[in-house]
Amino acid sequence: MNERILVVDDEESLRLSLKFKLKSAGFDVEVAVDGEDALEKLKARPADAVLLDINMPRMSGIETLTMIRQQYPQTEAIMLTGFADFSTAIECLKIGAKDYLVKPVDTTELVTRLRSLVRSRSTERALQEVHQEYLGFLTEDVLEPLKKIQSLLDQLARPQSDSEKERKKALANAREAADTIEAKVKVLARFAKEASETAEGSGEPSAMQLTEQLKGIRQGSSR
Amino acid sequence: MTESKKIHFLYRFQFENGTEKSFDVVLDEKSLELVRDEPKTKPEWTKLKFSQCENCPLSDDVEYCPVAVSLAGLVESFSDCVSYEAATVIVETRERTFLKKTTVQKGLSGIIGIYMATSNCPILSKMRPMTRFHLPFANSFETFFRSISSYITAQLLLMRRGETPDWDLKGLQEIYKEVNTVNKGMTARLHMATEKDANINAVVILHSFGDGISYFIESGLTELEPMFSAILNKNESSEQEP
Repeated sequence: MNERILVVDDEESLRLSLKFKLKSAGFDVEVAVDGEDALEKLKARPADAVLLDINMPRMSGIETLTMIRQQYPQTEAIMLTGFADFSTAIECLKIGAKDYLVKPVDTTELVTRLRSLVRSRSTERALQEVHQEYLGFLTEDVLEPLKKIQSLLDQLARPQSDSEKERKKALANAREAADTIEAKVKVLARFAKEASETAEGSGEPSAMQLTEQLKGIRQGSSR
Repeated sequence: MTESKKIHFLYRFQFENGTEKSFDVVLDEKSLELVRDEPKTKPEWTKLKFSQCENCPLSDDVEYCPVAVSLAGLVESFSDCVSYEAATVIVETRERTFLKKTTVQKGLSGIIGIYMATSNCPILSKMRPMTRFHLPFANSFETFFRSISSYITAQLLLMRRGETPDWDLKGLQEIYKEVNTVNKGMTARLHMATEKDANINAVVILHSFGDGISYFIESGLTELEPMFSAILNKNESSEQEP
């Protein structure tokens, strides 16, 4: 799916030319005529990034940026202005804009910056998914079976508490839980080794691949 | 010897606070050159070497940028205007009067466009024929259409001279690439000449037309096909005739 960009400018010709340029660079582009329109458009459909004019009637670009950062923190912003002003640039960056460009904007530069912005955002999101999946693995697939083993060991440790049949059943259960952990950790270790070799060779495995691997391990498949 | 006729574009900006600014842009009807008195004083930012455009073909003995000199009075007048400030802009020509409640930047982009194309800049002079058919407050599609129509007329004239016409409009895209380099250079100059953004944004609007034209030629023109169906499907309709 193409990254979605919202272009916000009160001037029709600027909206149109940016839309043309970004569409031909492969982005999914929508336009908004002012800050209020931008917030409506984001409410209807979120965007990966907004290109935001600073000098706009009614709601300024800085006010719009503030609202976007509060309501849609996942949406990155690049500010555009016809009149370069250092203090405004600093203010925008403090509020959370990722960049500040002076019009007329060089197309190649804009596309490069947008790609880099949405790429780092996707990477961040993918790494968060890996983190979640890894956390799930540790708590649900390692810690819970370990707790089960501990509980079974406690049961076995109690003198004369169970019949021989029950003791055998508890031992079998503990063994099964330990085997499950061992199998999953072995797959994870093998994968970690392969990932390390890939990183040393042609390139790092992507965060998305890591997530898929972890999901596979957690679902019981060994790839 | 008869004096050649003049074309006038009288631009009047009426602001919400009741004030008004007016500029009468006068062109020679035949050559479409800007008719103006040489200013007595020229600001520093109008010197050719002051932030000279990357593609400027003028030689070192030219002291002032002709575009900057043409724009100086207008730029000074709108120096403290904000781009989105509301204004009623009235444009009077010999044939008709245009009126629009718009923004200062939109009104200014029209008048700046005429000044730039007619001020004897060797690069911008290629846009000069468009000033004869200047359309105040034109939107992007109207400007693209006028621009392509003007270029195709030039190609037809070339063909009649026995030269090879450029029907693919590659040359038009090249012209706009050069024009946009000048637009960019001009915005750099204007940063030094203006306190607020109206003047700069007016040039940025002109730049955006140049930015969009390639895409319009590649993709946008196809969208216009249905409008031309009576011409494009001429053979089909004649075949249907008994």
